[in-house]
Amino acid sequence: MKRYILFPLFILHFSFFISRVAAQTGAPYIHDPSTIAECEGKYYTFGTGGGGLISDDGWSWHSGAERPGGGAAPDVLKIGDRYLIIYGATGGGLGGGHNGRILTMWNKTLDPKSPDFKFTTAVEVCASDGMEDQDAIDPGLLLDPTTGRLWASYGTYFGTIRLIELDPKTGFRVKGNKEKDIAIDCEATDLIYKDGWYYLLGTHGTCCDGVNSTYNIVVGRSRSVEGPFLDNVGRDMYQGGGRMVITAGDRKTGPGHFGRTIIDEGVEVMSCHFEADFDRSGRSVLGILPLLWRDGWPVAGEQFRGGTFEIESARRGYSLELAVDFVRMQQERQRFWQMDPNEPLKALPEQKLEEVIGNWPQGTIPLRCGDYMFRPHQHWTITPVPEAGGYLSAPYFKITIAGTERALAATANLELTAVPAFTGAAEQLWRIEQLTDGNFRLLPKAIPGREGINTLYVLYSAADSTPTLAAWDFSTDNAKWHLRTAK
Amino acid sequence: MRHQPLFLLCTLLSTFIGSATAQNPIIRDQYTADPTARVFNNKVYLYPSHDIFPPAGQRQDWFCMADYHVFSSENLTEWTDHGMILSQETVPWGKPDGYSMWAPDCVFKNGKYYFYFPNAPKSGRGFAIGVATSDSPTGPFTCEPEPIKGVSGIDPCVLVDDDGSAYIYWSGMGIRGAKLKGNMLELDGELQEVKMPRREGMPEMPPMKVGGQAMEGLPDGFKEGPFAFKRGDWYYLTFPWVRGETGEGKNPTETLAYSMSKSPLGPWDFKGIIMAEHANHCWTNHHSIVEYKGQWYLFYHHNAFSPRDDKRRSAQIEKLFFNADGTIREVKETMRGVGINQATEKIEIDRYSTASSDVTTALIDTVNTFRSYQATLPKKGSWMLYKDVDFSGLTDSYLIVSALAPENTEFFVREKNAKGKVIAKIKMTVKSEITRPGMPTPFRRDQSNQWLTLTVPLEYTPKGVTDLCVTCEGDAVSIDWLQFKNRPLYFTPVASGAEPSQPDDQGFIRRWRLMEPIAVDVRSNVIFTDSWLRNKFADELAKLPKQKAKWYTLESENYNMKLFRFAEKYGKQTYGSFFWCETVIDCPEDIQNVRLACGSNGASLWWLNGEEVLLLEGDRRMVVDDGVSQRLTLKKGQNTLRCAVINGPGLSDLCARFIDEKGNPITNFQIQ
Repeated sequence: MKRYILFPLFILHFSFFISRVAAQTGAPYIHDPSTIAECEGKYYTFGTGGGGLISDDGWSWHSGAERPGGGAAPDVLKIGDRYLIIYGATGGGLGGGHNGRILTMWNKTLDPKSPDFKFTTAVEVCASDGMEDQDAIDPGLLLDPTTGRLWASYGTYFGTIRLIELDPKTGFRVKGNKEKDIAIDCEATDLIYKDGWYYLLGTHGTCCDGVNSTYNIVVGRSRSVEGPFLDNVGRDMYQGGGRMVITAGDRKTGPGHFGRTIIDEGVEVMSCHFEADFDRSGRSVLGILPLLWRDGWPVAGEQFRGGTFEIESARRGYSLELAVDFVRMQQERQRFWQMDPNEPLKALPEQKLEEVIGNWPQGTIPLRCGDYMFRPHQHWTITPVPEAGGYLSAPYFKITIAGTERALAATANLELTAVPAFTGAAEQLWRIEQLTDGNFRLLPKAIPGREGINTLYVLYSAADSTPTLAAWDFSTDNAKWHLRTAK
Repeated sequence: MRHQPLFLLCTLLSTFIGSATAQNPIIRDQYTADPTARVFNNKVYLYPSHDIFPPAGQRQDWFCMADYHVFSSENLTEWTDHGMILSQETVPWGKPDGYSMWAPDCVFKNGKYYFYFPNAPKSGRGFAIGVATSDSPTGPFTCEPEPIKGVSGIDPCVLVDDDGSAYIYWSGMGIRGAKLKGNMLELDGELQEVKMPRREGMPEMPPMKVGGQAMEGLPDGFKEGPFAFKRGDWYYLTFPWVRGETGEGKNPTETLAYSMSKSPLGPWDFKGIIMAEHANHCWTNHHSIVEYKGQWYLFYHHNAFSPRDDKRRSAQIEKLFFNADGTIREVKETMRGVGINQATEKIEIDRYSTASSDVTTALIDTVNTFRSYQATLPKKGSWMLYKDVDFSGLTDSYLIVSALAPENTEFFVREKNAKGKVIAKIKMTVKSEITRPGMPTPFRRDQSNQWLTLTVPLEYTPKGVTDLCVTCEGDAVSIDWLQFKNRPLYFTPVASGAEPSQPDDQGFIRRWRLMEPIAVDVRSNVIFTDSWLRNKFADELAKLPKQKAKWYTLESENYNMKLFRFAEKYGKQTYGSFFWCETVIDCPEDIQNVRLACGSNGASLWWLNGEEVLLLEGDRRMVVDDGVSQRLTLKKGQNTLRCAVINGPGLSDLCARFIDEKGNPITNFQIQ
């Protein structure tokens, strides 16, 4: 009877958390967030109108970032040991005309409490004169990793998106550089580079209409930073082309103002705002989502929220399980020549937790990987632990055998164990990130006996059957896992 | 996209070649000292030294040059940087880290360009002079393996005489000159052994073999940088010269001076000063003199972009005139320099020709000096005059000007003088009042003391070459540059009875008959639902036959028809507009299974031969092939395509074409 009660309880418990992890936590209220910047262990993003958000861990955000100059839609980029901030000093159609101007300025730090916090005098790098089909706001920066050249794209629906080159040493416009039109029909653009391609991301649709905002993010790509940027059907963004990266969904409308952050090789996130979060009175909020790459195109992943999964190694396809005795299921078997074809078919029950749990040791249980047989020792419930903080894109999770409190934990010698009950200890908390290839990596928050938050060691296949912890390496399937809904 | 190839070509050119439009200094993105100008193939080529800031380990307060660039111009205002032609690392006999690539020269003879330059030799002290050759004035230059024997010094200058003889002049133990052999690489004549003067505190140097002869008849005092040229039957030897008294506590600086002779190697008859000492004690000056398109010019340098350090210099130009007896009239430095600016160039108007006495100029940024200068007009009545601006390239244009003001103010741009006809009135509002309730405050901040790019319509467009005068009509204002811009041509009116038009290469219909836009009270496009639009379009359609509206037949310059610009030109309002558009296409035969492919900003409804074929609803932006009709048949003969576009805020436009089953454009029809 006890087990019977536990099941519906678990359902309630889980749905409670779903509503709690709908977006970044805290007070992440922003419009047009700049690309996430890291400064002395904290994360920063700046928005329209001045000011911006700060986060200690990437998950919980609050206001407090400072940017003078007002205007719309800034971007920020660390170059050397300084931060370059670029912003439109005007407001596009919101401010009246289309006489826009874009400025750059530097700061040694983004922390307003630091004694070094001082912006240099802002310098105009481009302007629209109000007579052209152009509005110089909404800039985005790219430091080309192949050439070291610094580019900015800018503009809105009012005419074209333009590309200019800046001097990465000064933030000034490169002398003699002429603007180049590269797109129409979008705003809040950003350029990124990956594997020989330049990608232009732009925000399409209607802004600033709350729950009815149709904002969405589209992309085109080119072998040259100067375009032409073509979409997946070969249409030039200069003729309005674009392939969808992210649209409304997940109780949020109007994703806009793309920014890309590379966390590790193969681990990327995209930042944006949602025009309206249905779980927060329809306010405009910061969103940080996994950034996936499929067939050479960026696609927004979904925010990972947990659930009950098979944790399958990308190495062999074996499933993470408790190292306990395999319990055979009984089956009445008929020889096929004796089978009565008219006998009605019946569904067989799955093996239940209560049928096997009594056989399991009471203390810690070691882990292994084995053939997936949808048995209770292979089913893991992954649940957010909000009070444990988080990282860019999600809170920390506990990973427990479904229906129990038995939790996956890291050991001091970089191995794994399953402790009888989750205690909240850091080695029982897991950072779970979707990789650019769609797989996942899992990192314990801490390794017992080692200082600080673990950002190196991940769940790893030492052999087909032997899980362990080892340094992150995107180039091997040993470090990657599939999370399959347990069925 | 008929115009794309031309557009691409222009973009490529402007991307690959750095260019500068210039008054004085003429090059504004790097230092350019010791400017030697030469005319080759009806263009002026400029071979300056390239001052840089000394890297660590080099003497920080001394000259420092590691390479050479060459520049060219056809009008003396727009200069093209052809990039580096020679660097210290590629001189076989030179110190790779000598940073001593001082004043060069370049001449043309025997089908080749000979580039002469001083440099620190690998072995020994002081300077040698080397030669590099090329088939082109912009290189690539190939360096000779050894420097010229018998030349120890700096500042080479080569004069190729009318009879083909060539002479080289240089500075080293005074100014020396020698005849060059026909190969341009060796001195003609014996070298003499000369005892080197012993410098205080230095060991005695062995005697040196030196060629040529000391130039006689020059005045006492320090001289360097010889530049020799011939005009008529006079030879001129010109040179920087220190005329002031030297000694304790005195630091006289260089003038530019000259001597004349009837023979290329003198003796010389000293004549006086070409240019006086720099007023700001910039110690050096160094020059060249060249005739181009019937006018003589003096190229010289000044530390205009390095006010605190006179070892970083910038080239400037002035006109130079001769008296009847061949003597040279003294030249005064100006900010304006030479050349006629096109009105469509970015004109550094702060480098004015003359101004009221209260006008001041200063560097905009004393650290990033290449941001150049500003001029400040302190009060109402202050003015500055800028000579020689050519307005002949202007069509439908407006003015943009970069200005800064502490308070709201006003200034005018006038023609010819401070009371001249007003070309544009610029009202600067840097401290804005809230002009309408609900205006978002973040976008209207205090803009006092910020550089603003202002856009102004023209009151009047001058013709031909004229002078511009900026007058202050209010409180103080500082000005950096101004530029006249031609508006793009969006469309041209089509006369009745004109030849039919064709769809363009991508099948877009560029000829449209447009009714003058109707004002509609639409403040946001979010109301454009299917049924709202159908009702609205039906209402407007019902009114259409009764309206006495004007219709315009226009041919678009682009694949899309820019309705916003049409409304701006022919309508009363640009936002909140309703457009009726139609076009008649003439097919040689029935064309089956085609689709009408459209894009519009904002919503639109389309009819072919009276049948509704496509609705683009919602807050649309124009996208090529955003929506297409079902399969249609274009009938033989005339087909009428009609559309209505409605837009609240937004850059209204439309594009339309017919495509086949595979999405390829249909082009075999004519547009009436």
